[in-house]
Amino acid sequence: MVKVERMEDAMDAKKSEVLQGTLDLMILKTLHALGPLHGFGIARRIEQVSHDVLQLNEGTVYTSLLRLQQQGWIAAEWGTSENNRKAKFYSITKRGQKQLALETENWERIAGVIGRVLRLEEER
Amino acid sequence: MSSRRESKLRAFGAKLRGFLRGRQGDGEFDEEVREHLQLLAERFEGQGMSREVAAAAARRQFGNTTLLQEDHKELQTFALIEGVWRDMKYALRALRKSRGFAAVSVATLGLGIGAATAIFSVVDNVVMSPFPYKGAGRMVFPRTHNTQQNNDDGRQGYTAREVLEFAEGNHVFDGITAAAEELVLYKQGEGAEQFYGAHVTPGTFEFFGMPALYGRVMQPSDYEPGAPPVFVMRYKTWIERFNGDLSVLNKTFVLSGTARTLIGIMPQRFGWYGADVYLPEKLTREAKAGFADASAYWFILGRLKPGVSTQQAEADLTVIAQRLAKIYPQDYPPHFNVLVNKLGDSVVGRVEATLYTVLAAVGLLLLIACSNVANLMLARATAREKEFALRAVLGASRARVVRLLMVESLALAMAGAMLGIFLAWAGLKSLVAAMPQDVIPAESVIELNGPVLTFTVCVAVLTALIFGLMPALQSSRRDLNDPLRDSVKGGTGGFRGRRLRDAVVVMEVALSLTLLIGAGLMMRSFVALREVRLGLRADHVFQAVLPLPEDRYKTVDQVTGFFRPLLARLQALPGVVDAAASSTLPPYTYAASKMEIAGKTQGEDWQTLFQHVSQGYFRVLRIEITKGRPFGEVEVNNGRKIAVVNETFVRRYLPNDNPIGQRLRLARLETSAESSDNAWFEIIGVAADVTNRGLQTPIEPEVWIPYTTTGSDARVLMVRASQEPGTLMNAVRQVVWATDSGVALAYPGTLEDRITAGLYAGPRFGLLLMTLFGGLGLILVTVGVYSVMAYSTTQKTHEIGIRMALGAEGGEVLGMVVRTGLRLVMAGMAAGIAVSLVLGRLIGEQLVGVTAYDPITLAATTLLLALTAAVACWIPARRAARVDPMVALRYE
Repeated sequence: MVKVERMEDAMDAKKSEVLQGTLDLMILKTLHALGPLHGFGIARRIEQVSHDVLQLNEGTVYTSLLRLQQQGWIAAEWGTSENNRKAKFYSITKRGQKQLALETENWERIAGVIGRVLRLEEER
Repeated sequence: MSSRRESKLRAFGAKLRGFLRGRQGDGEFDEEVREHLQLLAERFEGQGMSREVAAAAARRQFGNTTLLQEDHKELQTFALIEGVWRDMKYALRALRKSRGFAAVSVATLGLGIGAATAIFSVVDNVVMSPFPYKGAGRMVFPRTHNTQQNNDDGRQGYTAREVLEFAEGNHVFDGITAAAEELVLYKQGEGAEQFYGAHVTPGTFEFFGMPALYGRVMQPSDYEPGAPPVFVMRYKTWIERFNGDLSVLNKTFVLSGTARTLIGIMPQRFGWYGADVYLPEKLTREAKAGFADASAYWFILGRLKPGVSTQQAEADLTVIAQRLAKIYPQDYPPHFNVLVNKLGDSVVGRVEATLYTVLAAVGLLLLIACSNVANLMLARATAREKEFALRAVLGASRARVVRLLMVESLALAMAGAMLGIFLAWAGLKSLVAAMPQDVIPAESVIELNGPVLTFTVCVAVLTALIFGLMPALQSSRRDLNDPLRDSVKGGTGGFRGRRLRDAVVVMEVALSLTLLIGAGLMMRSFVALREVRLGLRADHVFQAVLPLPEDRYKTVDQVTGFFRPLLARLQALPGVVDAAASSTLPPYTYAASKMEIAGKTQGEDWQTLFQHVSQGYFRVLRIEITKGRPFGEVEVNNGRKIAVVNETFVRRYLPNDNPIGQRLRLARLETSAESSDNAWFEIIGVAADVTNRGLQTPIEPEVWIPYTTTGSDARVLMVRASQEPGTLMNAVRQVVWATDSGVALAYPGTLEDRITAGLYAGPRFGLLLMTLFGGLGLILVTVGVYSVMAYSTTQKTHEIGIRMALGAEGGEVLGMVVRTGLRLVMAGMAAGIAVSLVLGRLIGEQLVGVTAYDPITLAATTLLLALTAAVACWIPARRAARVDPMVALRYE
């Protein structure tokens, strides 16, 4: 049987996990900063912020959104968008705020450590 | 991220909610995605792209929606369960499209399971473990076997003294009981009714390990002479005669003149000795002379100590018997030993062989059914090769395909199993109804055997699964492009698949032929059985057993005083042609005696069977008298010592003399009181041979003497009627009670029914079953051959098209196809005949009038199978031959 490559291939899995993790964080940050947004809006914002460096299919945003919903960090509600269209709006929850703070702290700590390590190298 | 376990738990909770919510979430998501794509497209249009280009760009930017939806689903719900559910629905749809295949597979599986389970349940309950008694597997009964006569069954009835010697002197039993029968009379309404009673020795119920269901069993104190008389009743009798009325418990019944209290009712499965009631008796050593004078004959049952073999038991008991033989030499043959038989042998022996044969047949049927299913699945799998290749290309993993196939096979297997369980239940019910009653032990309760049902279901399900999964296993070896691109030129599902299918067909045909031969042989045997002339006419004869109360019928005069007026009154009844009394019912005579003929040197083993009869006996049964004359009324009434012998007697003992006028004496009849002169009987006639040992043992010498010459042995009444004999019953009963209201009419019925039940019922049952299986096997094989042929001709359509385009005629094509099919069938038949010849030895003993290698049967069954198979090959072949070559060439 021909093995068609799927995203669950071992190496790719790790890579996509990290990618998804980053995306989750970015979505939380976006919602925290900009307030309730629908999926399209979130995608546009991410596109802006990352300066087109992050190359991913926009659809993956929805996977992240679902995961964040399941963990209870964001909430969803149907509403009307700017051009009078039906859209699902996502907003960050209190728990989500806490998670965002935690994650931000984590990242900054890691960034700090890496920074120090790199500087160590330079001082050598 | 927060603790992994917490987040996993939350994810699980969300999945559960999503699973229970079902479709709702999907619709919403689709809408979201659509909206997003729309917005993206509008953006691109705003940047100047045309509508279609914009839409395409939007889709590209968004990514693969299908994969997204799948991932979404995976997160949202239990994808595995939903997947399996979806596979199930697909499988059902696919099966509905191939209705024929599904129906045949399910029917085949169901048939195999049902038949195998039903039959095995019967065999298990009747042969292997019919007795619910403690240590029943070790229970044996002794018989004293004359070593000089090979087919001597041996004496199984013993005097009280002998029982006590065996009981006290043995070293091999850890428990022993004895039973003696008595036809017990009790007053009921206007006259007497009768129980089949058994006197039992102390400790009997403890020996069997069965306490009473209601009330209590007999205790040691009940057996003491002088204790208040009690008795215990069997469950079946209680239900049939007293409607299960509990108020009869502790009531008093007058049984054969003694008032006894009913103290207990046994559980349903207790049926020791087939008795209706059990009476306690403690044995004492009688001072009398021996066997001939014993007041009762006891049947001994002992339970071997664990670890004791039957040989050890036989040796031990023989020693005891030899001691007894010194004291009572007239009761033992000059050379003998004691053999023991297992408990079931006395009843089941005759039918055991039949049951095992049928068991083998059913095993074969199960095999055929499974091979059919295997073939059907293999064929179907090959037809779907393209489908599986396509699935693989579209992204299905091997596991996915296996799952799909497993669900489909399981669906079929489950349906087959359910049908099988139903058929097993229904089949068992019909079997039990059709089974001849007195051929199975009284204690056996035939129910569906759980473990066997599980076994057969597993076998069938495994077959379906294994062969259903074959395509998944096979296709890993090849490049996917082949099946996708390939038309069926040259390939019939891979060479390996074809060989397997062919092998299965050959095996099926062989097995089916074996079954058919078995059925055919039994049929011929049964016909031969039916044709054996019994030597008498059993039609229009009413018969009943008349147990006479012992206290009032001890002497010859008393017995004569009853039968003479009874027979006279019966003859006077309208509708009665003749009436007679005798000591036993045909076709078996049990009483035997050592015999002497005046003036001849007696051989050591001169024995004869004998009966006490009234003068009407030969007329009632229309037995032909070939020499001399039968008894006259006056001589019988006067108790004259005359005898009629059968032709076998004359051939064996008086080959060169005129039997008329010779005199003989019977050792069994002689008591010490009579002088030796008086003991001679004069032969006045010779009767044609009448079956007296059943159909499978040759006729033995027999002597008939008037019932008025000795004691109270006349017990059977036979009345020849001009109309239906059954209608006489009430009239006869009235006459009997008018003559003596204390005599019961026991086991009334027609002689014809009785003989049928005794001689033919067992073989007929076996024949029915074998024919049923033979027929089923034939049907299954036909279906099997047909399906394989149909399949392979479909595969060959392309090839056929070429041939026809090149000029072959329809007839030639037909011939070619049929020939290929028949070659397989021939191979199968050859194998089948070989197998039958080997197995033939096993059923050879049950056959009457035909050998296991009977050429007529072999030829007929082979022909039948060949014809059926030929038809099964011909139909698809004809379809192939009529195909339009142009269509065939383009066919893929």
